[in-house]
Amino acid sequence: MKSFVRMSYPYLVWIALFIVAPMFMILLYALTRSGNGTITFKFTLENFSRFFSDPTFLRVLWTSLRIAFLTTVFCILIGYPAALFIANLPEKRQTLMTLLLTLPMWINMLLKTYAWRGILMNFDLESEIKVFIGMVYDFLPYMILQIHTAIAKLDRNLLVASYDLGANKWKTFLKVTLPLSVPGIISGITLVFLPAVSSFVIPKLLGGGNYVLIGNLIETYFLVAGDWNFGSAISLIMALIIILSMYLTRKMDRSTEEA
Amino acid sequence: MKKILAYLLVLCLALPMMASAQGFDPAEVAGTTLNVYNWGEYVDMSVIRDFEKEYNVRVNYKTYESNEYLWLQLQSGDSWDIIVPSDYLIERLIGAGMLQPLDKTIVDNLDQLAEGLQGLMTYDPDNTYSVPYFWQTMGIVYDTTKIPEEEMEAQGWDAFQNPAYAGHAYMYDSSRDAFMIAEKALGYSANTTNEEEILAAYEWLRNMHKVLRPSYVTDEVIDSMAEGLKWMALVYSGDATYILSENEDMAYCTPHQGTNIAVDAMVIPANAKNPKLANLFIRYMLEYEASEANSIEVGYASANGAVLEALSGPGGEYEGNSAYVPRAGYAQDETYVDLPSDWQARQPDLWAKVMAE
Repeated sequence: MKSFVRMSYPYLVWIALFIVAPMFMILLYALTRSGNGTITFKFTLENFSRFFSDPTFLRVLWTSLRIAFLTTVFCILIGYPAALFIANLPEKRQTLMTLLLTLPMWINMLLKTYAWRGILMNFDLESEIKVFIGMVYDFLPYMILQIHTAIAKLDRNLLVASYDLGANKWKTFLKVTLPLSVPGIISGITLVFLPAVSSFVIPKLLGGGNYVLIGNLIETYFLVAGDWNFGSAISLIMALIIILSMYLTRKMDRSTEEA
Repeated sequence: MKKILAYLLVLCLALPMMASAQGFDPAEVAGTTLNVYNWGEYVDMSVIRDFEKEYNVRVNYKTYESNEYLWLQLQSGDSWDIIVPSDYLIERLIGAGMLQPLDKTIVDNLDQLAEGLQGLMTYDPDNTYSVPYFWQTMGIVYDTTKIPEEEMEAQGWDAFQNPAYAGHAYMYDSSRDAFMIAEKALGYSANTTNEEEILAAYEWLRNMHKVLRPSYVTDEVIDSMAEGLKWMALVYSGDATYILSENEDMAYCTPHQGTNIAVDAMVIPANAKNPKLANLFIRYMLEYEASEANSIEVGYASANGAVLEALSGPGGEYEGNSAYVPRAGYAQDETYVDLPSDWQARQPDLWAKVMAE
């Protein structure tokens, strides 16, 4: 057993180098202003107060959260029936359907977004609707696959037992299938909400150039304004929001397990 | 036999051309690589291929989208042999000691530079570090079937405050240029560091965002306007040249309030790994053939005077194209000077807020 523990050391080094160290750098940048020496740092919360005292930034944050939330909701609304449909197909067809679902994932997301840009260019829609369509399209497979996995591994005998006890199809779905597939929905939410809230390529390409989300803001401050300190502060705020939402979804997961 | 004669003829013509780069043996650079970092949509790639063939070298060609991005990359220590920054960035790079002087025994064709450029190279008047590549003004491309010419010429930059064009405009996503049009519209200098003036310009841009609801774009504006997707767009004159040649409904307005007149020039960073070949490249790009091919391909005004004249003259590629030759000698036009370092982040910050509103 001990030798197995040792095998994880390279992985720990990897984590330290590529996850902990960059996070630490972001933290350091976020808590300072430029013009520091290499040895002396002057810590400040100025970057954060600048973000939270400006209504423009707060509105961008709110828009990001709102569109990510709506994307997640729509992914569930479309994804759940789709997953249910696939799970009820014969085994062979299921494999084919999941293959078809993952097929678009083999194509680079940037290319798919450009394709959508070409399609949506001909329609006179609000930028937000365009971005929303792009996001739902892009993240939907993750949701379907997660829910499908949860439904597929469900014990069929439970459904037979439910019918046996006099429940009709609808009631069986509500009382048996749905509650047992909640873990799938939860992991689907994590896989959709998190990338959606920090997405910046989709709003940039589909928003017609006047739709700014928090990811775009971070990009601007890093690449155009050259203000890494403020950019890091925004990234850190984002990271905190993501951690918080992960914590909340996990808590939801646990409470459903207990029930 | 005929073929051999033709080859001989080509050889005879080519030999004096090579020899004119004095004190330089092409064999020295054979087999080496040149790292070129240029603006996007700014070259005829066949010119690069020809250069590779002629000197038996490899060119690693990459592109960037803005001076600000280039500056950040240079600061993080990236190394290229050739970069093509705009005037004000060259000024900053010279001041920071980040460029190396050109080898004038190799770059010996500076007499080919266009006359109109003379007064503009204030950042490097003697071409110690830089050789112009393209030059341009900033102006408005507009659809004459939607906006009559007199209407546009009378408004100039004020067109960006006109609610009648709401939803029909492209705005170039570049903080320096955005502030330039606001400052020019308000009658200030494009290089102002006056706090009140910069805040007034900020308000002007916020109002533009609210009234005009423009789409913020970069290079995609070129194809979109060529297709006539919107009524007007803020563009560089070089891009306008291309748009006008693709779509005859389009016209170019150099606003009467004055605009920015800019030079993008080839320079060799101090940390370049192959400066010898870089000097040779600069010389090659300024020559008539390469300049002509590049200018025809992308539509920007050539730094080579003879090319500029030939392309805009009778029978030339851009005869009658009002955007090709930049307006020279107009009193209100300004070149950018490098803003003090505490201002360099100021405009992008305010500009990000305008767009996010």
